[in-house]
Amino acid sequence: MSKPVHLIGVLGSKLDAGRSQDRWSRWRPSVAACQYEDLLISRFELLHEPRNRDMAELVASDIHSVSPETIVTLHSVAFLDPWDFEEVFSGLHEFARAYPFDTDQNEYLIHITTGSHVQQICLFLLAESRHLPGRLLQTSPPPREGMPGSAFRIIDLDLSRYDALASRFAQEQQEGLTFLKSGIETRNAVFNRLIEQIEKVAIASRCPMLITGPTGAGKTHLARRIFELKRRREQLSGSFVEINCATLRGDQAMSTLFGHIKGAFTGATVNRPGLLMSADRGLLFLDEIGELGPDEQAMLLRAIEEKRFLPVGADHEVQSDFQLIAGTNRNLQEAVRKGRFREDLLARINLWTFKLPGLAARREDLEPNLDFELQKITDETGHRVSMSREARSAFLKWAQSSDAKWTANFRDLNAAVVRMATLAAAGRISEADVRQECERLKRLWQPQDTKDHSTSEDALQQVLSIEKIEQLDLFDRVQLAAVLTVCRECRSMAEAGRRLFAISRQSRTSHNDSDRLKKYLARFGLGWDDIHFEADSPS
Amino acid sequence: MAAAEMITIDGSQGEGGGQIVRTSIGLSAVSGKAIRIERIRAGREKPGLMRQHLTAMKAAAEICDAEMIGAELQSQTLQFQPGPVRPGSYEFRVGTAGSATLVLQTVLPALIQAEAPSEIVIEGGTHNQWAPPFDYLQRVFLPLLNRMGPAVEASLERYGFFPAGGGRIHVTIQPAKMLTGFNLLERGAAVSHSARILISNLPLNIAEREAERLARRLNLQPNEISINPVTAHGPGNLVFAELAYENVTELATGFGRVGTSAEHVAEETVQQIREYLKSPAPVGEYLADQILLPLAMSAAQPYTVRTKRGGSFRTHKLSRHTTTHIDLLRTLLPVKIEVMELESDHLVTVSPVDTNQVNNADVLADDPLSENEFFSWKEEPPSSSL
Repeated sequence: MSKPVHLIGVLGSKLDAGRSQDRWSRWRPSVAACQYEDLLISRFELLHEPRNRDMAELVASDIHSVSPETIVTLHSVAFLDPWDFEEVFSGLHEFARAYPFDTDQNEYLIHITTGSHVQQICLFLLAESRHLPGRLLQTSPPPREGMPGSAFRIIDLDLSRYDALASRFAQEQQEGLTFLKSGIETRNAVFNRLIEQIEKVAIASRCPMLITGPTGAGKTHLARRIFELKRRREQLSGSFVEINCATLRGDQAMSTLFGHIKGAFTGATVNRPGLLMSADRGLLFLDEIGELGPDEQAMLLRAIEEKRFLPVGADHEVQSDFQLIAGTNRNLQEAVRKGRFREDLLARINLWTFKLPGLAARREDLEPNLDFELQKITDETGHRVSMSREARSAFLKWAQSSDAKWTANFRDLNAAVVRMATLAAAGRISEADVRQECERLKRLWQPQDTKDHSTSEDALQQVLSIEKIEQLDLFDRVQLAAVLTVCRECRSMAEAGRRLFAISRQSRTSHNDSDRLKKYLARFGLGWDDIHFEADSPS
Repeated sequence: MAAAEMITIDGSQGEGGGQIVRTSIGLSAVSGKAIRIERIRAGREKPGLMRQHLTAMKAAAEICDAEMIGAELQSQTLQFQPGPVRPGSYEFRVGTAGSATLVLQTVLPALIQAEAPSEIVIEGGTHNQWAPPFDYLQRVFLPLLNRMGPAVEASLERYGFFPAGGGRIHVTIQPAKMLTGFNLLERGAAVSHSARILISNLPLNIAEREAERLARRLNLQPNEISINPVTAHGPGNLVFAELAYENVTELATGFGRVGTSAEHVAEETVQQIREYLKSPAPVGEYLADQILLPLAMSAAQPYTVRTKRGGSFRTHKLSRHTTTHIDLLRTLLPVKIEVMELESDHLVTVSPVDTNQVNNADVLADDPLSENEFFSWKEEPPSSSL
């Protein structure tokens, strides 16, 4: 059973006018709206200005004559100036708020043919914002005055109801998705779902986003693509500003982020706007946000919430409206528990959290990403780089196996492809190139302890011959290697001694740490110069 | 309502218009049998029920306490379950969406055979281009219907032109227990011819130009033409040309409208008159469509010794509207309707299906000398005074 149709409209002070009998020969939209053979208006809420009361009454009585099924209720609404947007909007808004809409029982139409253009715009806006929960009714005059044939259209502002528009939006969304994925036809379902969500959020929201994931998973890359997508849709007009918070240390951190004014501190010879200001109307990507110091965290929170902050040394706050994307590979919840990260800041940036999976979790995406990397090199160098079919399948087979750790994720893949492309003869990567690269990657991903062990072996080999090392116990080899590593990091024997004997020297009266170290090294036939020389000229 | 006892009508058959809906509902009210109409106005630009159909249906539902399913705009399926007909006083307000005459046509079948008299007031459009004007009902159709037994008197209290409406007609109905059929095969002697022009809220010279043209083309004397300025909401202009014979009256109508000259409106009316005079058949195109229903109702009545059931008439041509109507009546009523092509016109015979119970009156239907006949054969050429 279809619901009774209620019409809401503004009396057209010109179109609906007419007192003499010949008014019937003219098209009066409010009357005509009640005369359509295929549209039955059961109630008509006719809004009019107080001075047009007589006209409204005549229109109501004419409607009663042509359409006795229609109950017309007149509402006197004072717009004062029907062309004043504010007055009209508030008048109509007040009516809409007070009107007892019952969308379960009735269907509502908003007549947008009558009234001033401003009134029509306001009706449209109120319908669009669902203050007037109905569809729009647009009526049009007959082809010739006095003839039948007046037509009407019902316009639903719910765009998803139009098939053609829906497919257009779907296409636009598809473009957005492909764009976020840099055109890579990724196959991993988890990743693709994630990108779909990011696309929706990026288009619909200006709230901060948090991208987590291991290093090299593509956080910065994704942030930049989000920025470019938003700029294409004209949601952002400023620029993309990125900073790795791990590089912000000490006094400079505040100034780098929030800027300073000339003379704020020694060396502040000019005004510096700071990164937040540079990102005004653009996008600020703060990578490794967990590394941010407590003062910076507090200031950032205010900048996000109020869109204003105080530059170093300034008396007045400045404003910057930026979209924030934060990146982290740390567990920020954990950092909050340990008191290293502000809980309120996390809550603010945590509204949309997207966890980028590492490459190892997206093995089906290796192939499209391999193509992407090859194409990138081709684009960058101008030389076409390709792989033989055998090389390609060998690489993919190994890359997708559990042997391949991909600990630095896409950074590893990118480096691998760059290395293979560089070494390949005539731009064609062979199976042999692939084999060598796989070996390199394997070494790179050796477990940390063996790697450390081998590093310490390296340290020994730099100062002792293999024969000598082989005569040492493992106990001595490990101890000596650690001592050598510290020595290589220090500038003097005294400094090395202080670090090596840091605990025991506290309980001693005399501190001859360099002597203790000198004696220890002498046991292996080594002097400071042997080590220091190596350290000054690393291979 | 059980589907078994319900007659299902294909609403898209023939010309597939609102007539199928109105006739089906009107007869459903008479018979008390539920109907289901499917595919209503299928294939039309705007398929399904329109407001004018709804107003007529609601009026019919009111007089017989019917339950309706699907009685809403654009609905293509309607179920109509009538209750007992309740004669009495009714007032229907139909606006311009429904023509008053179409509403009357829908409720008349049930009320002319009801147990008691009725009085109906219908407010709304009385003269619009898409329905028989009130004058046609009053001058042509009702006199014929009244000869079948009932006494239906209609008067126009206010004109209601399109688009303003606001008209009012008043109808009193003295029902008849039985409807007596008739044969209408001859016009009979010419009684009068005349023309009348209605005009409201328009310059009088429009009517004068129409009168001038009618007089010239139809060879009418000044005293045979009247210009009738009427009071109504909004503009209105109609041209009537009437031919009255002993047995039948024909009324041609032209509608004045924007974009059509007065002379053209008059010419349209003249054209209809010429069409009618092409053959000696007494029943014009529109009347054929109108009288089929009461004639079929009389043929469908149970046998009694006294009542003539069904009858026949001669008509110049059968419109698609009429052939659709014939097919529909065959579905809805236990009647036989035969169409025989004559030299210049058609003979339509409506008879009961239980012909083994032929009574005197039925037999006499074919006997030109029968006193039971209303109209007798007279082989005279049609009046050529026009």
